[in-house]
Amino acid sequence: MSAQPDRGIDPRGPRFAAGITAVLLLAEVFLALIGARTAATILLAGLAALFAWGAFAGVRRHPFGVVFRRLVRPRLSPPAELEDAAPPTFAQGVGLLVTGVGLVLALVGVPLALELAGAAAFVAAFLNSAFGYCLGCQLYLLLVRAGLIRRAPVAVGP
Amino acid sequence: MADMPAWLAVTLIAALVAVATATGVLWRVRAGRVRIADPESVVTAALLGADAQLGERATLLQFSTEFCARCPGTHRVLAAAARDEDGVEHVDVDLTHRPDLARRFKVLQTPTVLLLDAGGAVRGRVGGAPRPAELRAALTAILNGADDVRTA
Repeated sequence: MSAQPDRGIDPRGPRFAAGITAVLLLAEVFLALIGARTAATILLAGLAALFAWGAFAGVRRHPFGVVFRRLVRPRLSPPAELEDAAPPTFAQGVGLLVTGVGLVLALVGVPLALELAGAAAFVAAFLNSAFGYCLGCQLYLLLVRAGLIRRAPVAVGP
Repeated sequence: MADMPAWLAVTLIAALVAVATATGVLWRVRAGRVRIADPESVVTAALLGADAQLGERATLLQFSTEFCARCPGTHRVLAAAARDEDGVEHVDVDLTHRPDLARRFKVLQTPTVLLLDAGGAVRGRVGGAPRPAELRAALTAILNGADDVRTA
């Protein structure tokens, strides 16, 4: 009932990965703006594939997560507390949705799709990396409120 | 769209980063603060469900979902605060099972914490992970019967 994780991940891992993703998304927006549309499309497709990897295989198996565990975490002090892997995994799905829709729209010729999808995904990844803001958590709650995600009522306890 | 010169693209990118940074700073400044809530709104144990038990003197009512990065940490902070005070209970509700409560209390982010007094009246409200010192001060204010639970 209460969301106590039985096993956790270092919360700095997803934020490290989001930082790399944010930089790559900025590069994608820049390429699209200066007219290097093929390069921007390939980069956005690559990022969408990475989001899919994180969403379906889990953030623990995401390449940037592996980089964090192998190269970064050994140099850091242990985390103050561990976090559940489910929220960042859900956030990867949100990233996949945004970049995937942008990619499809760009491929059918919708103007500004590369720029706007990249910018939207950048804002989410940047806020997550720099401030610890979890857009996926917010969207999940809005889906619950809208009645799109529902489970049987259970008794609440401490 | 026509290709733009690199300097203009760099300017737009910088503006994007600036807007995102301002958004993040604004969110950080506001998140986790104890705000005054509408004391007319009253929570009863019956509303929360059969097993829920409100504290005799105060209750920390936490709204969570499974997909919530800060909820487990908030759970630990609130459970510890409740343990340290007699007559204070901590209740953690997963809104996935109770979307009616999310709508009723207009919960827009998780965790959201309602601070209830002995009668179940909502005296304070925290959106986001509460700042532990501020939360404990507000709880103390409720236990002492103060009118205003804000300390800052």
